Amino acid sequence: MTATLSAPTSAPTRTRPRRTWVGALIGVALVVLAAASLFIGVSDVSPTALVEGGADSDAAFLLVASRIPRTVAVLLVGASLGIAGLILQMLVRNKFVEPGTTGVTEFATLGMLVAILLWPGMAMMGKMGIAALFGLIGTWVFMRVIRAVPVRQLVLVPLVGIMLGGIVGAVTTFFAYRLDLLQSLSQWAQGSFATIMAGRYEYVWVAGVMVVVAWIAADRFSVIGLGEDFATNLGLDYRRVVGIGMVVVAVITAAVLVTAGMIPFLGLVVPNIVSLIIGDNVRRSIPWVAGLGALFVIACDILARVIRFPYEIPLSVIVGVIGAGLFLWLLLRKGSRAH
Amino acid sequence: MSTTRPLIAASLALVTAAALTGCATGTEEVAADAPAASDAGTVTFSWDRNTAGEDEEPAYEETTVEVPKNPETIVVFDMASLDTIGALGAEVAGAPLDSVPDYLQEHLADDAFNAGTLFEADLVAIEAQQPDLIVIGGRSAGLFEDLNEIAPTVDLSIAGSFEETLERNTTFLGEVLGAEDEAAEALAQLEDGIAEARAVTVDAGTGLGLMVSGGRLNAMAPSEGDATGRNARGGLIYDVFGVEPVVEDVKGATHGEPVSFEFLLEHNPDYLWVVDRDAATAAEGAQAAATVLDNDIVNQTTAFQNDQIVYLDPTAWYIVFGGIQTTQIMIDDVLQIAE
Repeated sequence: MTATLSAPTSAPTRTRPRRTWVGALIGVALVVLAAASLFIGVSDVSPTALVEGGADSDAAFLLVASRIPRTVAVLLVGASLGIAGLILQMLVRNKFVEPGTTGVTEFATLGMLVAILLWPGMAMMGKMGIAALFGLIGTWVFMRVIRAVPVRQLVLVPLVGIMLGGIVGAVTTFFAYRLDLLQSLSQWAQGSFATIMAGRYEYVWVAGVMVVVAWIAADRFSVIGLGEDFATNLGLDYRRVVGIGMVVVAVITAAVLVTAGMIPFLGLVVPNIVSLIIGDNVRRSIPWVAGLGALFVIACDILARVIRFPYEIPLSVIVGVIGAGLFLWLLLRKGSRAH
Repeated sequence: MSTTRPLIAASLALVTAAALTGCATGTEEVAADAPAASDAGTVTFSWDRNTAGEDEEPAYEETTVEVPKNPETIVVFDMASLDTIGALGAEVAGAPLDSVPDYLQEHLADDAFNAGTLFEADLVAIEAQQPDLIVIGGRSAGLFEDLNEIAPTVDLSIAGSFEETLERNTTFLGEVLGAEDEAAEALAQLEDGIAEARAVTVDAGTGLGLMVSGGRLNAMAPSEGDATGRNARGGLIYDVFGVEPVVEDVKGATHGEPVSFEFLLEHNPDYLWVVDRDAATAAEGAQAAATVLDNDIVNQTTAFQNDQIVYLDPTAWYIVFGGIQTTQIMIDDVLQIAE
């Protein structure tokens, strides 16, 4: 995986053959790791076990009940989180934002807590809806606050977002603490795919749908990225497109939160790396962002399963360490274009 | 709970990792503590106090405190001690009221005052009450120096094994409260109860202590005698009640290790001993953990098929773990399987 990420960036060229080559590499790595993901786990689910055991064996059962759902969930989460970051960056016109640095994740978490408190018996889908609604409010509040900031400096925008998230996070923590839910909340918010299985992951398909929506509206997001005046001059209904973008971001955030918990850095790092490779055209970068996001998360999830086998390391720890490293590298790179 | 913002999440992860390894080593040796009653109407209590104020590099210093017999006003920060003091027929004048579990409320005086939280003392409020004795332990152990200036303060944290601590604390509190006979009787009864429970578990086959929290699974480990607060909990099922661990090499796990459903099926223990951290959040009477464990993979395990998933009282096993009444609850929980 490291090879894949460093290959394009060690010598960034803008020639087309090189880009195609990198794209192919990402694709191949994705297929290989997805296949590996199906066969890595506590129980013995190997191709030979599948063939010998036949259709009724434990191996076949686990493949269907546990491995395939987990792999699909990981791929969808990775792809959609990358897209959420990309769209948010276009909406705010800032390369340093993602749901985690804008307060959206914190708002969605608060929504989840509210749902758990007020309607404990509610179906997961309903809880996710409430989390998405709060995420939407969070995106709106963030964009409002950003608009009020007089100087839209590059670093100021995510800083404001992080502070906003801090405030909302504090409110959530306060209620969780008072209600003795702190432990549950931290467990639940910790990014992990360990308990993913058939029946417990289907909500990520909603995030998948949002990726398709983003894809369809991709060109509009490109134009939005040029600014409100420019977009309006081109005859675009600015508010409507921003609205769609906000919904996409909020729903993806909520779906990922409900299924896997919080996964930091991904929405920040992946779109930036892609923009280094192929530039800022949203329509062209969407498959790249989705592919690279999926690749990143599946590699991390495999590590999470393997390092402390048969136990698991929380995925958010691994993503956090690798993601933070990549982020610093993006920031400190000589002649950085990540802005 | 601010696992939200990326940088913080990463550093939090590191700190957690450090803390997990750290608290495993933070052992507290039982000091020579035969609390001999002196003629002056005091009882002497000695213990090795961690003066470093942290678990990472503890520095122990033997501390001896003279405690008055039959104290009138007692302030308690340690829930297990609250349990024992109440069970021995005394009342407590002050405690961190928000943290007192329902079944221990009756041990509080009618006009009990709030002494702070499990981590911080409201020194002004405590000083105003002029207590005769203050009992700390576990999370409040670091408060010793401040509190001992107000009134004689003893630290009844877990030291040595669970049974050793139970015996030391019960004997000591019995002596202080002038209830030596009741204390000895209660101890004998608990020892019988534990022996009875062990006799049941010895034929029960293998078991796995499992903490379910926020929809995630954590396998608990035996504490191997090193039963400092964090290390005990779910692991007590092996240490105190003699359940044979299904995985031999569960080691170094403090708050348990994250595992998948597959892990349960693969290791397939005869009994699952479940500490349901989410019980507080669930609707009246509902088992939150039961919902999590009700799925196709768990339904294939021996524990499920033989109806051998035992739900343990989360307050007793996770929050209090210690004290006369609580230990009886734990014994009863284990004896369920004999019925």
